[in-house]
Amino acid sequence: MNEENIKKQVGIIKSVLYKNLMENYVPFQIDRDIASRWAKPLNVPRGGKTILYTSFMYQMGSLFKSYEKYIPTFGSLGSSRIISSIGSKLIRAKSEDIQRAGKILSNIYNILRRYDPDLGYLYEDEPYSGALLYEMGFLEEFNNYGRKLMEFFKKKGVERIITVDPHTTNSLNNMKKSIGFSIPFVSYLNVIQDVRGEGKFVFHDSCLYSRFLGMYNDIRATIKNTGVVLVEDPTVTGIGNGFCCGAPVGPVDSRLSDRIAQSRADNLKTLNENILVACPLCYANLSPFGHVVDIAEVIS
Amino acid sequence: MTWSDVITKVSADNQREVDRVLENFPYIVDMANHLREQKLEVIGNFDKYIRKTMESVERVRGHAYMAKNKEEARRIVGEIVGEKKTVVFAKTNVAYEIGLRDYLKNMNNEVWETDLGEFLVQITKGWPTHIVEPALDLTALEAAKAVHELDHSINEKSSIDEIVAAVRKFLMSKYIKADFGITGANAVAADSGSVALVENEGNIRMDTVLPQNHIAITGIDKIVPTMRDAMDEVMVQAAYAGIFPPTYVNVTTGPSSTADIEMKRVSPATGPKNFNLVLIDDGRMEASQNEEMKEALLCIKCGRCYFSCPVYRIMGKEWVNTRSPYNGPTGVMWNYLTNKDPWPAEYCMHSGGCREVCPMKINIPEIIKNIKFIASNL
Repeated sequence: MNEENIKKQVGIIKSVLYKNLMENYVPFQIDRDIASRWAKPLNVPRGGKTILYTSFMYQMGSLFKSYEKYIPTFGSLGSSRIISSIGSKLIRAKSEDIQRAGKILSNIYNILRRYDPDLGYLYEDEPYSGALLYEMGFLEEFNNYGRKLMEFFKKKGVERIITVDPHTTNSLNNMKKSIGFSIPFVSYLNVIQDVRGEGKFVFHDSCLYSRFLGMYNDIRATIKNTGVVLVEDPTVTGIGNGFCCGAPVGPVDSRLSDRIAQSRADNLKTLNENILVACPLCYANLSPFGHVVDIAEVIS
Repeated sequence: MTWSDVITKVSADNQREVDRVLENFPYIVDMANHLREQKLEVIGNFDKYIRKTMESVERVRGHAYMAKNKEEARRIVGEIVGEKKTVVFAKTNVAYEIGLRDYLKNMNNEVWETDLGEFLVQITKGWPTHIVEPALDLTALEAAKAVHELDHSINEKSSIDEIVAAVRKFLMSKYIKADFGITGANAVAADSGSVALVENEGNIRMDTVLPQNHIAITGIDKIVPTMRDAMDEVMVQAAYAGIFPPTYVNVTTGPSSTADIEMKRVSPATGPKNFNLVLIDDGRMEASQNEEMKEALLCIKCGRCYFSCPVYRIMGKEWVNTRSPYNGPTGVMWNYLTNKDPWPAEYCMHSGGCREVCPMKINIPEIIKNIKFIASNL
């Protein structure tokens, strides 16, 4: 490993990420109107006591990878130029990615609306969870941002949060432990019942859901109850031997991230050609190497 | 075979084998749980258990030393061994940690690794790829080419059996003339002063019996309260390494001795006349006083976490640098602990399998997260 490069990149990520979050509630520039447009045709209530919290994860899934490619370039700039360069760098998501994210979020919302017709959404005001700060080990910054995030939700009158992705759920869980994040939250996968689905897949676990949030068995039960068939082999999908898609190492080494993704996809494909995921970052990382679909694309 | 083929196969084999072992020998899980408690007891009271261990070793006519750091440990062993000796090494990670092999070689000693994998790493001038299987990344062809330099009957067409037989023959000549056998320890029992070692090749048995001097060098983290705990550690390590039952378990308590004539204890008998235990701190004591790090000291070096880790599965030995024999998830902890190098932690992507497969239930991702935090504040 190249320690010098890593040192440089970690420093850049820390300063840029924290600055963006504290100023704008997002890790990098995104078009918030486009990202929240999916909710308008459904007339999703704006705000409310219980909200669907996307944290822009499905909308930004592919963008994380795009920004990662720029980090080594920024490393050759002076620190003041890094901030301005990244600030001016608005990478737009591809329209098919936005459409796909919209379909997934619409489907999740439509399912959840059956249990709570008043379920709301913060639209373009929605903040990012700060998951990256935690995952990069920027723990003081994570706690500072967490306090700001909790204050934000309280001002909006939010009393319960339903998350749609593992990184956000894990982030809130860690904020609960480290700063006493007091707003109750739950993953939509732990809410949905009586949902139908079809198809035969190999399930690629989200590390965070299955190995950090204790959902390894629950998530399988939820999937199987829909009628979806999962192909299992403990050496590939077991809790100890199943492994990450590679996305979290992307900001530090995007090439390594891709190599891990390919290895994981190859590993999964020994069981079935169709790979099922529960996380937008797993989708973004694995989909170049196989046929990947999200749970929310096979249930209704 | 490519590295990817090898690691995928070995990882799956380990998973299947450990599952089989735990099904057929279910008491291993109870042993592991008990061992964790016993090791926590030692980690919380290092001073007491170091003292007790050293007293026990002296009581059985051995010599015990305590080294604060790598330099002191090298010096102690160097003074015991001296110059122009033949030294046979059993696979010992602590020896790598302190750079002992090169140190003794530079003192004009003839030094040979005797574990087959470690021997191949030595003669190819490589670095261990895995803590239990050091030559995991070496193909049969590469092994044949390396062994050919020592035994010209081995060539590219030689079978694995022939390569192993050639190394066996070569090493036998070294065991016979060796002055010192240097081993690590899977566990050291504080109450008896015994060193317990587990293996399958038989080389450790040779290293600890044929030379007239045995030096065991190990970290203070390998101390356990009792002989029973030492046997537990040996069995648990073998089971989770996926090699159970082990072929050999070696227990050494001081130098060889006999009381066969008039019940008078005389030493030496057939085996070594000197037994030396060198304990090393090298960051372990400091870690024991740090709530966020101390669980790392529970590691029994079974190497199972390597297989569950996506970074190791891609990078192999290129991940953690060659200042450390410890790689994979536990290596990130141990490289920090012994070298204060936090940077390999930045590659950890909290896959979390390491915690799931660890027999000591070490929360490895949590420790690595804290090391990342340290790195990000440097």
